[in-house]
Amino acid sequence: MENPEETKKTLPRWAVVTAFVVLLGFLGILGWGLKNAQQGPVKVGQPVPVFNLTTFDGQVVSTSDLKGKVIVVNFWASWCKPCEQEAAELEEAWQSYRESDQVYFFGVDYVDTETQAKKYIEKFNITYPNGPDLRTSISQLFRITGVPETYVIDKNGNLANAKIGPYESLAEIKQMIDPLISE
Amino acid sequence: MLTNLGFGSLVITFALSLYGIFAAIYGERKNLYRFVESARWAMLLTFPMITLVTLCIIGLLVTQHYEVQYVYNVTSQSMPLYLKITALWGGQSGSLVFWAWLMSAFASAVTLRKWNRDRDFLPWVIVVCLVTLAFFLSMIILFENPFQRFWSTSGGQQIVAMFQPAGSQLIIPADGRGLNPLLRHPGMVIHPPMLYLGFVSFVIPFAFGIAALITGRKDDRWIRLTRRWTLVAWMFLSIGLVLGSRWAYDVLGWGGYWAWDPVENAAFMPWLTGTAFLHSVMIQEKRGLFKRWNMILVILTYSLVIFGTFLTRSGVLSSVHAFAQSAIGPMFFAFIGITFLVSLALLIKRWNDLNSEGQMNSLLSRESLFLVNNLLFMGVLAVVFWGTVFPLISELFTGQKVTVSAPFYERSTGPLFAGLLLLMGIAPLSAWGHSTWKTLGKAMWKPGLLSLLVLIAMVISGIRSFGALLGLWLTSFVIFVTLYEFWRGMIARHRRSGENYFTALIRLAARNRRRYGGYVIHLSIVLMAIGIIGIESFQTQTQAKLIPGESLQLAGYTVTYESLAEFDVQDGRNVARAVLNVSKNGKNLGELYPRRDYFYDSQQPMTIPGVRSTIEDDLYVILVNWEEISTNGATFKVFHNPLVNWLWFGGILLIFGSFIAAWPDPEKGLQLESITKSRQSAVSSSISAD
Repeated sequence: MENPEETKKTLPRWAVVTAFVVLLGFLGILGWGLKNAQQGPVKVGQPVPVFNLTTFDGQVVSTSDLKGKVIVVNFWASWCKPCEQEAAELEEAWQSYRESDQVYFFGVDYVDTETQAKKYIEKFNITYPNGPDLRTSISQLFRITGVPETYVIDKNGNLANAKIGPYESLAEIKQMIDPLISE
Repeated sequence: MLTNLGFGSLVITFALSLYGIFAAIYGERKNLYRFVESARWAMLLTFPMITLVTLCIIGLLVTQHYEVQYVYNVTSQSMPLYLKITALWGGQSGSLVFWAWLMSAFASAVTLRKWNRDRDFLPWVIVVCLVTLAFFLSMIILFENPFQRFWSTSGGQQIVAMFQPAGSQLIIPADGRGLNPLLRHPGMVIHPPMLYLGFVSFVIPFAFGIAALITGRKDDRWIRLTRRWTLVAWMFLSIGLVLGSRWAYDVLGWGGYWAWDPVENAAFMPWLTGTAFLHSVMIQEKRGLFKRWNMILVILTYSLVIFGTFLTRSGVLSSVHAFAQSAIGPMFFAFIGITFLVSLALLIKRWNDLNSEGQMNSLLSRESLFLVNNLLFMGVLAVVFWGTVFPLISELFTGQKVTVSAPFYERSTGPLFAGLLLLMGIAPLSAWGHSTWKTLGKAMWKPGLLSLLVLIAMVISGIRSFGALLGLWLTSFVIFVTLYEFWRGMIARHRRSGENYFTALIRLAARNRRRYGGYVIHLSIVLMAIGIIGIESFQTQTQAKLIPGESLQLAGYTVTYESLAEFDVQDGRNVARAVLNVSKNGKNLGELYPRRDYFYDSQQPMTIPGVRSTIEDDLYVILVNWEEISTNGATFKVFHNPLVNWLWFGGILLIFGSFIAAWPDPEKGLQLESITKSRQSAVSSSISAD
């Protein structure tokens, strides 16, 4: 804001420089945000950053404790009809890997209410850890575009494959995971 | 056929705007007025051309050409005709065309005026308008073409393209996906056009401001020329904001009206700077002060408009409003960068020319109170801006997008809004140039006393919330001050001219539209403030699972669950509708029907509350959940929202007030002259006062 008493003075150089620096800084942040927004999901073959899931029972599971295991991250929501198509198969897959202790399943509940979500879990008898995506931080990590989406992380912590939309069959799920176990 | 016609017109309009830009600059540089005149005609011609493009899209939407991707995405057979037409702004590409159409309408209207006295502005106003238009058109043509169709190639691949790829067949789907159900609401039909109108009409004052900077004219002519445009832009933006709130209240089903969502903020920020601008231009007109500041405000307002549009459409921030991910981001970013940098460079270049003609000499004068008003608006802007971009900044430094929630905004803007209310009460009573506590107190003590009586009455009636007491006391103060102003003016006129009271009041407002229109707008803002204070301070809510015959109590109301039915409706919805009976103090008040609509085509549910509205309060019931027929229980969430309807009344009064203030004067020349005279005398009197 101008001070009327100083109006005769010319604008000092530092003020001009500051104005441009602030503006360019702001544009920089904006451009950086845009670049991120345009990047799309984590790319296959790249390492996936560590994240934590707080389950509906209140336990915290961290991917850092699961080194050396194949991790399946499934994004879903109780309001999502296509998610129901794959829910039973995912649980079946989990049951078949459970004993081997080589594969870990995460269910991430995206933008949902807890009561509805618990009902959904009950309906499909889902036994693998499930929890809400608090502050949508996990979905932002993967930059999901919707639900259902499933990401499989290999034993070295790199993204092995991504499935947008529901799995068609149990065989399809196994096809994604089996080669990673023997690695 | 329509697709080719539409696309062809689009390309021609783009070429036309490029030509206009070059002709205007060339004509201005070489002093060849016929080129500027030619640019003006190019500007005028863009309007019928884009109208044709728009009509082509509407034609495709109405005649259900589902082979066109845009039509497929936003309409379906079950939608009524009016929604098919308004689906024009139901998706990214269509709404960009609509934006461009409104923009060209406004720009054409402004070029139609007589330019005799302001010929030096004309080329630059054309350039700014056409650059903006050309930018939007190029985005539509390159990335968001609404005329692209589905094709199946000989290899069996399905692609989307404008022109038929060799050896391919057109794919014609039987039905479209349908408009997002959230957008199938009357409020949604008018809310986007109002906001867009507000957005595009702010281009006009910006264009004149930039023209003034480029030509180096130091006077306030650009402000006088665009005063009405600014007011109209501001009015549309305000209506858009109120309608958006109303839509959220009716459709989103969470009992509120404003969520401080990034996109709401994006529309609110230019409103803040626009409101500050509307006030501070008066200081330049009357006293010749604040020239730089006004220039900054108009640049800021336009930049925030573009910034808001960018945020909404690039996917940088997630929001309920976000359009689908799209490729326009980088191009939009480049446009923002260029706009900001060029404006800043121009402003710095002319900085020394824009010095004030006088100075402030009284702390309580109108101009210094306006200065405080501007500072408060900037404070609110800073809060909202910080909250909006905070997710970006937090992601940059911590790797996590942390969103700022409503309490942050409410706590930090609350005191600033209270300050603005107080100023709304004091500033109209202070004089230009010089005011003292004595003169101010003399004008203020009657309304102040009345408002204190209201405060005492509120305390006696049992209101104990400090925020609500302060807020309602301030609103009553502003109401009394404003009505007292009307009263004093009316009495004075009645005594002087002998007109009856009513005629005196009407003529008073008619003679001084800007002032009294402004007062009416102040009253409307106060009504809205009452609604906001009501819902923020006194909202109560409860949730209960009921079986038929059971009831719950809230704020004196008894809500009884009677029955629930689930059925299919012809337009592709499954409806679950509950019947509730409402009574108060044993008196039956009728039934409410909260429901849940499920849209088969888009697989999306929508919650529609049952609302009972009175001047006093709203009873707002949401159907949360229900069991199968056997158990028959259902869960309801009930809100009691006191005073919320004043928010909507205020919105209507605001339109009325804006019309009074913006209505053209018949004797415009005279008016201008008298303003100049009064300003000269104000300046000279302030000088003599020194």
